[in-house]
Amino acid sequence: MRKKHLALTEKKWFQILFWAVLVIAAWEIGATAVAMTKRTPENILPHLYQILAAAFSGKAVSGGMTASGVVLTSAGATLLRALGGFAIGAGLGFLLALAMKLSGLVEKLIFPYLMLIQLIPVLGLAPIILAITGDINRSRLVIAAILSFYPVAANTLAGFKAVSKDKYDLMFTYAAKKRQLYTKVLIPSAIPYLFTGLKIAAPMAITASILVDTLQGDGGLGCMLSQSLKHAMSIYVFWLIVFFSAFIGIFSTYLISWIEILVYPEKRSAAGIGRSAGKEKKYGRSTEKNRTQKEPGPETL
Amino acid sequence: MNAAEYTRNDVPDEIVIRDLGVTFQDNKGEDVQAITGVNLNIKKGEFVSLLGPSGCGKTTLLRCVADLQEPTDGDIHVEGMTPKEVRLQHKFGFVFQSPVLFDWRTVKKNVELPLEMMYQTKQQRSERADEMLEMVGLTNFANHFPNQLSGGMQQRVNIARALGIRPDILLMDEPFSALDEFTKEKLHEDLLRIWRKTNKTILFVTHNIQEAVFLSDRVCVLSPHPGRLSAVVDIDLPRPRTLDMKETPAFNQLVLKVRNSFEGGSFS
Ligand SMILES: Nc1ncnc2c1ncn2[C@@H]1O[C@H](COP(=O)(O)OP(=O)(O)OP(=O)(O)O)[C@@H](O)[C@H]1O
Ligand SMILES: [Mg+2]
Repeated sequence: MRKKHLALTEKKWFQILFWAVLVIAAWEIGATAVAMTKRTPENILPHLYQILAAAFSGKAVSGGMTASGVVLTSAGATLLRALGGFAIGAGLGFLLALAMKLSGLVEKLIFPYLMLIQLIPVLGLAPIILAITGDINRSRLVIAAILSFYPVAANTLAGFKAVSKDKYDLMFTYAAKKRQLYTKVLIPSAIPYLFTGLKIAAPMAITASILVDTLQGDGGLGCMLSQSLKHAMSIYVFWLIVFFSAFIGIFSTYLISWIEILVYPEKRSAAGIGRSAGKEKKYGRSTEKNRTQKEPGPETL
Repeated sequence: MNAAEYTRNDVPDEIVIRDLGVTFQDNKGEDVQAITGVNLNIKKGEFVSLLGPSGCGKTTLLRCVADLQEPTDGDIHVEGMTPKEVRLQHKFGFVFQSPVLFDWRTVKKNVELPLEMMYQTKQQRSERADEMLEMVGLTNFANHFPNQLSGGMQQRVNIARALGIRPDILLMDEPFSALDEFTKEKLHEDLLRIWRKTNKTILFVTHNIQEAVFLSDRVCVLSPHPGRLSAVVDIDLPRPRTLDMKETPAFNQLVLKVRNSFEGGSFS
């Protein structure tokens, strides 16, 4: 068991390493090719070491700030709004899922049209939201909320619906009140589904917030991104933002997985499975001992 | 022998089933008689099995008693009340075929769940759950999660949970059918020991003849199409029952008697 467990971890590390090497190799081959054929290769595909050098260079690129400084200060405005919109969207998504579960009418009225939200292109929606709200920060919040809303609502509802009939029957036998059915069975059952929704929504909220930035020149990651692309500042700011956003997006998903382990005790127990297997074995032995005193001879039908 | 005629002196009837019938509609809208004309009286403290091949309406009958299924015909009285009244008083313990455990709750918290519905205090719940887990031999697993237990252990948690609310009546739907012979026999002994200690009325669904004969005071044989009560066989083996009784001629004769009571004489 222990050995198997170790082998599995090694395999996972191997996978990560494999992909990292593959991506870096592909990137560098591309960068070398670009460097040989194009006049401004850094605009298309710079070498990774060039990007790293830009990240750690003390040279000011804009308003006396280094490239990393620009990225980190503008990230604050964007990510804070992404987080706010994510929280609002996820909260509303959860409540709507609950409302749809509570009322068949609400579900019939809303659910089929809910996915339309997914189909509206954010870029098209963003200027309209900006015009309505009249404020870039509020727009970031609203767009991030709209995008977070659907995956959370749809997944949570799926979670409610995945509760088996047995569980309802059990609660009915114990004369459970509706409120108890929800707090003790339905909501806890839906939590893993809710987290799946949150893991999908978090990077989307960040992407949305960055996209909204590009609409106005008021700072934020997206704004710096487009300025950098228009050569208003070093192009390496662009590359840094690309990597930084990718990192934050992946990190947000991991962060949510980590929170899930904290709130959902069954996930925590996954780590203890090896230990309990030993105990189960002991149980098996003791019953076998009981058995040996008697003739088995089970007459089956 | 007619089930309704069956009497066992001096003990009052706990469950009275009169002319019970349940008709379902299949997906073509046609009526399917799951059970029809069932008459059965069950005494307080009696261990009664419902035995029959798949589809003969055993589960349907049990669900009617538990108020999980509305009868189409006839009625059921439990301690003189309707099944609903009895259910609302938490007098039923229902053991489903699958353990139906909540995987985010520890074993102990699973056992405490119905007690939460009865608004017991935290301390009451904890003490009762410990007691029940000790009874089914799972004290050391109180803080494990269900997915860390074997199937047999999960089924014992299921039983501990049903017993925790001190039900007068234990309704069990093929609780051991998914288990191996060894675990099953161990749980048979456990169940009989618990039953002796707590003096509950048990209605036990099974499709295993040996199991029914070994456990029960009476075996009710059901036949399919439509599901009905075709025979009731008294099991007069002495108690307490031990596993070696299964080797005795008396036991085998009763098994044969039950088997022959199926219409057409065969049951497989
Ligand atoms: N909800 C339902 N809707 C329609 N028909 C049903 C329903 N429940 C049961 N039936 C039918 O009623 C009959 C009896 O079913 P039941 O589940 O009581 O059988 P059973 O004796 O418990 O069988 P098994 O041993 O396989 O569990 C079957 O023919 C089944 O198709
Ligand atoms: Mg059944």
